[in-house]
Amino acid sequence: MANITKKVSWTSRGDDAVAGEETPLLNGSEEVRYTRQLSGVGGMFHIGRLSTVDLEEDVTSDEDSPKGRPNEIPHNEKLLSLKFESLDYDNSENQLFLEEERRMSYMGFRCLEISRWVICGLIGFLTGLIACCIDIAVENLAGVKYFVVKENIEKFTEAGGLSISLILWAVLNSSFVMVGAITVAFIEPIAAGSGIPQIKCYLNGVKVPRVVRLKTLVVKVFGVICSVAGGLAVGKEGPMIHSGAVVAAGVSQGRSTSLKKDFKIFEYFRRDTEKRDFVSAGAAAGVSAAFGAPVGGVLFSLEEGASFWNQMLTWRIFFASMISTFTLNFFLSIYNKKPGDLSSPGLINFGRFESDSVAYNLYEIPLFIVMGAIGGLLGALFNKLNYWLTIFRIRYVHRPCLQVMEAMLVAAVTATVSFVMIYTSNDCQPLGPDQSEEYPLQLFCADGEYNSMASAFFNTPERSVRNLFHNPAGSYNWETLGVFTVTYFFLACWTYGLAVSAGVFIPSLLIGAAWGRLFGILLATITSSGSIWADPGKYALIGAAAQLGGIVRMTLSLTVIMVEATGNVTYGLPIMLVLMTAKIVGDYFVEGLYDIHIKLQSVPFLHWDAPATSHWLTAREVMGAPVTCFKRLEKVGTIVDVLSNTSTNHNGFPVVASMSVSDEPGKICGLILRSQLIVLLKHKVFVELARSRLTHRKLQLKDFRDAYPRFPPIQSIHVSQDERECVMDLSEFMNPTPYTVPQETSLPRVFKLFRALGLRHLVVVDHENRVVGLVTRKDLARYHLGKHGLEELQLAQT
Amino acid sequence: MSVLQVTTILVALAYYGYAHATLNELASGVAPQSPVFLSNLGSYYTLNLLSAFPESLDVSNYCIELLAIFGKRYSTYANCLVSAARPVKVCENCYESYGELGEIYKNISSDQMGPGNESCRTSLLHSDRLMLVVQLYNNIEGIWAASECKSCVSLELHSLTNDTLYFMETLNQSLGCFEKYQQSNQTELCKDCKATYKRLNELYSRMERNHTLCIDIEDSMNITRRLWSKTFNCSFPRAETVPVIAVSSFMLFLPVIFYLSSFLHSEQKKRKLIHPKRAKSNTSFMNIQDKLS
Repeated sequence: MANITKKVSWTSRGDDAVAGEETPLLNGSEEVRYTRQLSGVGGMFHIGRLSTVDLEEDVTSDEDSPKGRPNEIPHNEKLLSLKFESLDYDNSENQLFLEEERRMSYMGFRCLEISRWVICGLIGFLTGLIACCIDIAVENLAGVKYFVVKENIEKFTEAGGLSISLILWAVLNSSFVMVGAITVAFIEPIAAGSGIPQIKCYLNGVKVPRVVRLKTLVVKVFGVICSVAGGLAVGKEGPMIHSGAVVAAGVSQGRSTSLKKDFKIFEYFRRDTEKRDFVSAGAAAGVSAAFGAPVGGVLFSLEEGASFWNQMLTWRIFFASMISTFTLNFFLSIYNKKPGDLSSPGLINFGRFESDSVAYNLYEIPLFIVMGAIGGLLGALFNKLNYWLTIFRIRYVHRPCLQVMEAMLVAAVTATVSFVMIYTSNDCQPLGPDQSEEYPLQLFCADGEYNSMASAFFNTPERSVRNLFHNPAGSYNWETLGVFTVTYFFLACWTYGLAVSAGVFIPSLLIGAAWGRLFGILLATITSSGSIWADPGKYALIGAAAQLGGIVRMTLSLTVIMVEATGNVTYGLPIMLVLMTAKIVGDYFVEGLYDIHIKLQSVPFLHWDAPATSHWLTAREVMGAPVTCFKRLEKVGTIVDVLSNTSTNHNGFPVVASMSVSDEPGKICGLILRSQLIVLLKHKVFVELARSRLTHRKLQLKDFRDAYPRFPPIQSIHVSQDERECVMDLSEFMNPTPYTVPQETSLPRVFKLFRALGLRHLVVVDHENRVVGLVTRKDLARYHLGKHGLEELQLAQT
Repeated sequence: MSVLQVTTILVALAYYGYAHATLNELASGVAPQSPVFLSNLGSYYTLNLLSAFPESLDVSNYCIELLAIFGKRYSTYANCLVSAARPVKVCENCYESYGELGEIYKNISSDQMGPGNESCRTSLLHSDRLMLVVQLYNNIEGIWAASECKSCVSLELHSLTNDTLYFMETLNQSLGCFEKYQQSNQTELCKDCKATYKRLNELYSRMERNHTLCIDIEDSMNITRRLWSKTFNCSFPRAETVPVIAVSSFMLFLPVIFYLSSFLHSEQKKRKLIHPKRAKSNTSFMNIQDKLS
């Protein structure tokens, strides 16, 4: 083996042990102290790794910051976490890929296309089924809970001792929530919240750890049932989107790594490119099942993952969405013992807005716009409060047991506040003939009347929303609505971000519906003659849209979702205007809730565009340098050392032609990924072994797919001392045509390439095609436009 | 609910008047199926003077007879409805006349041939655009359906159901009790009539669950409840505010303690900053600031 070491000529240079050499780099005015230590001792060969440490020290000492600068800071929004990585959306067109493509027949491609459709159908079906299960479970559990509490309250209204009912309600709520919070906090913390920020990140191209696993799905579904049944100010719609995404990721792979079960189907789709397409279909199916809005679902995926899109995919996603809402509809109709009556397309049913009283007039549009502005203001307030709360939670309430306790407390307080509101309310309304109240509470009202506050609080949130939309004018006093809006606003704001899986859609709708209805009532009293056109239900709908738009700041997809959920296309214009106004007003103060949470999780998220004032930044300033490169024929020992270096957890390595005598970086000839190297090491694809064993099976693309998506860590791969001296030929496996940019490329250009092509690594080369740097997602995501111009985020270990 | 009822009855009354007019015109021999729909008033009268259509084309005597009976019964029923409008007794008082009306309508609308081998169905019901008889009857049917009298009256419309009778009896007990104590102290009334009232309430809710309520029962129950709650003021008082306030303020206090203690005792989560390797040029934040300014 020794002669092989000699054959690779550049290793001999290791004997020089160059240190602290100054090289004019990057043809800039400044000179970088480019330290490279090469040592040939024991075959160890460090490129870039040691120099990192040196460079870092240099930087800290050279910078104007004081030496004693703390390396630890409290968590804040201006960080980028190291734990997030990019997805490999870019296809590696290496020789294996070309071979496979050559082997594949025309029929093979047809089959792939068909199986894509089959998978989308399955995704829709399973998502609809999950939505159906959640709906039925929540309905029954909440039904039992409300029945017990109602009986209890009725008993104690007469006999005295209502404080016991209060305690019973609080305990019931807390225990439901406790179960849900324990599963989330201790088993799968990523399942907390609505999951929309996580899916947004995933579609953006960020690999969020554990987000699309089966375990996450199970915890999510269970957690949602618990938290909604536990009476928190939450909805079950947001988690549906996450659930759909997980279903898609699972189905498309034809196996479950959690269950260690491989069905040996759909093996072709085991890579990030294909998987993400299916995940966007799953997210669409989730939206579609949640709101009965198939087109809204497609547009949601489009809005969140718009950079990677093609027309055929849109059509498939639409198919998945339709199947999903149909499945939910069908199974719910069976559950409601009216099989074939397809009248409940989504989890939330806004009811029908079809009568004449809910038609709107031209002169109402300014009013709607005013409501949109109010929604934007309230949404901004909500987001700001939630932002402070979330920072506090990340800093201080980070232990699982504390999180569970917090969730239980919120549940108990929610019950208490609701009870006190109902107890002190004097708003009594006669019972309707159609029994629109599911759990009417009489309390201190006259016989035959019910407490109007209870119809808002003593109900599942979905029900309350529908009541606010459709109960006839006069069902609520304006005091009731005002008090309800304020309390529910703070409760919902407090609840979002707890360690329970729950969405923010329904609480937002509920808050908005309450103040919208209040707005309608006030309007009717101001214009005494106008009581006919100021139908409170219509204003409740507009208010709900405004509030939701003010909080989440979604645009096109939310408009379509709302229009589809109401089932009335004529509301398209007012809803669009309201959402636009809410977004404009809200964006003036603070970002949308999901963006805030993405930021607080320190995700390197690429927005639609590069920051506006960043054209003067060039790739040279953005890129990471120096780059750890490999040569076409690289020694195994070197590769293992670089991969197992924990301080620089690189994932992509440019492959360069052999370096010239000086330390100048070599010319680029390809790019190889960590995952590929690990598979190569695992299969011991060494030049010497191939030569000695002629019958050695050639590595195929399938071997890479089998290891996907959980590639083993480098530590688990054993490489003996002899093998370290071997050589690997990377030219067959590397991507021979990686995307490159010259050093002078501006940041927005680089950004566009990244967004549009879904890149993970972008090699920066000089005019002679030599590697000078590497741009990754984190390099781009760290620039953002703050209050004082362009700001830079810092990398942190989380 | 009651407003709706009244309006429907008013509408019915209007129809009733209309029906009378029709009958009169029938008597004067105007053919209901006049082919001249759009004729002006003058020609209408000329037609009227031109006397009736030949017997064979017109409505038979038998059918005219049926129609007359229908009109009579219709007016009886409508009268009954109006007189039983407030307090609502439409089921209790008028089920018999409804039954009779239904019977004659069934006769008219049946396919069964009368004397002279003819059916009145086509000639009376479906010969013109207005289809007055059908409309009138449908209207009555609508009122009957809305009042849900079906649940209180036996299937053959002979009598009230036993449930209804029992409810009336219980109701009368309650009302009697109310009357007894009305003059004396109201607190005593609340105490002494509670048992009968409660029994009434329970019976009512049981019937509600079984869907054996009709408008009579609902209305009388509403009146009784209003008497009980509003007039006599026997609802539950908001008596125990103190324990509720105590418990709830304790609950509201818990989160404050929780957040304070976690703020004071939980160690703050710190993030370790990583300095990425960069080509040392204008990357640092300070330089950005310089460049911008």
